[in-house]
Amino acid sequence: MKNKVKFLLFLASALAALALGVCIGSSRIPLGTVLSVLSHKLFGTALPESVTGVTASIVWSIRFPRAVMAFLIGAALSASGTVMQSVLRNPLASSYTLGVSSGASLLAAVVLVTGFSLPVIGSYTLPFLGFIGGLGTVFLAMALSMRFDRGMENHTIILVGMVLSLFVNALLTLVTALSSERLSQLIFWQMGSFSGETWQNCGLVLTVLALGLCILQRYAREMDLMTFGEEQALSAGVEMRRVKLILIALSALLTGTAVSLVGVIGFVDLIAPHIIRRLFGSNHRLVTPMAALFGGTFMVLADLLARTILSPLELPVGAVTALIGAPFFAWVYFHRKRGAA
Amino acid sequence: MLSLHNICAGYGSTRVLHGITFDFLPGQNYCILGPNGCGKTTLIRAMAGLIPSEGEIILHGQSIRQMKRRQLAASMAVMSQATQIYFPYTVYDTVMLGRYQHMSRRLFSAPDAQDRQKVEECLEQVRLSDLRHKPIDQLSGGQRQRVFLAQALAQDPEIILLDEPTNHLDLRHQIELIDYLRRWSSDGQHTVIGVLHDVNLALQLTDHVLFMKDGQIVRHGLFHETADAAFLRQLYDADIAGFMQTSFDRWRNIK
Repeated sequence: MKNKVKFLLFLASALAALALGVCIGSSRIPLGTVLSVLSHKLFGTALPESVTGVTASIVWSIRFPRAVMAFLIGAALSASGTVMQSVLRNPLASSYTLGVSSGASLLAAVVLVTGFSLPVIGSYTLPFLGFIGGLGTVFLAMALSMRFDRGMENHTIILVGMVLSLFVNALLTLVTALSSERLSQLIFWQMGSFSGETWQNCGLVLTVLALGLCILQRYAREMDLMTFGEEQALSAGVEMRRVKLILIALSALLTGTAVSLVGVIGFVDLIAPHIIRRLFGSNHRLVTPMAALFGGTFMVLADLLARTILSPLELPVGAVTALIGAPFFAWVYFHRKRGAA
Repeated sequence: MLSLHNICAGYGSTRVLHGITFDFLPGQNYCILGPNGCGKTTLIRAMAGLIPSEGEIILHGQSIRQMKRRQLAASMAVMSQATQIYFPYTVYDTVMLGRYQHMSRRLFSAPDAQDRQKVEECLEQVRLSDLRHKPIDQLSGGQRQRVFLAQALAQDPEIILLDEPTNHLDLRHQIELIDYLRRWSSDGQHTVIGVLHDVNLALQLTDHVLFMKDGQIVRHGLFHETADAAFLRQLYDADIAGFMQTSFDRWRNIK
């Protein structure tokens, strides 16, 4: 099948997933109603009489931002995972390997336990400090890697990231042990959720994602070369240290933004690039945007399952992505290995 | 063209090269010979700027430390030995990556007609045109070596550095590779500098040899002028000349 056809199929699946995400919920809303609300909000057309203001509000202010946010977060995490796998030449690497989630969770725990609130940003204190914590941990991992190994070889970065993650996790355990009454709140935040998302948050993630994807397109060839190894990339003319720093920082920015706003959601960043490489080959000019498209679609469906499967109880979306993602990943990964053998 | 002045390099606190000085002349191939651990591979990696080194490496009058990576890559290519393939690129895409330093860095820019033509030529030269759409993880070791040779050629360099390029090749492909490299450099504008364990194969590529031991060049020049049985025995700690003679006697009896 040609790549154009595959792309159109993926795009149609993404739109279908978004439509399902908006239509299905505690009350079912027909697609026609959803489209008329969308048309009303975007183009100012009149709402049909059968559509009440409450329905319009549910569609536009609750369901749409939630589905769009799930899509954007899935896309951001998948793009980030693609970068990390290529840069670190490790099919199991992700930003989480370098401590994004540990750092974000630690500062989030501090905010939840102390009730600390920053002036001006108020209710955004938790995501803001979560973002700083996530990014800070990755930069600390990079700084330590540079100190230990001037060439910043991949195994140094991965080892330093893992050690730092374990250390920050230990601090997190200490904080939670000292404040057990907030434990459930923290665990729920860590498991990830898209409830209560706003258009404002969507705009924020969309900005970071669009910027990130553009920069990643610019560095697509460098990522291609880096998958063959550092020496090959160097001898082909890639300024390895600089490019590696830019790409890891960008990946941390994408994951950090996601984690700080919706909590820790795993596996999508791991499986999306693998599936896309099987279907589209390894060229990053295609892999990164397509992994983002697939990851977004997957996340919308995972969120749909999370909130409907045991309705009215809502499951943490991180648990759903892991439950689907882990066996799926094992199948994809080992199927390929067996095929190659 | 390429001059080494007092090059010292190593790994961590272990110094492998101890003050290598040598001038490589344009249009001439060179083979670096010596026993295991004498620093051949380290020298190739230092020359390509892949590992930090002390001393000066001058290419066309300019220190390679002052050159941008892209600038260096336009003059010098290293034929990769990437044995572990993590992501399955096609043969064509892999060779096209050799054009990296010639391509535009603008967003969404695609390879131009010149890039595509060069890749076609290189694929043709290593006889892989028919396999262009095949993922490289499905190729044999020998085919993969040819892909990486084509990638190095696509860089359009003046110098190709090789480190044991015949490792995964059967005899036919070893002969083809050496034959190809010799033809590539016969125009007087290209240079091959290679590390080869097999002395016979090395001599098929060039008569100019550098003998290394303990991180230093101990002799260099034309093989028949610099090497003798006693020297080779001392260098390799084995009777190389006797071994070759026995082998030669057996070949002579083959009809």
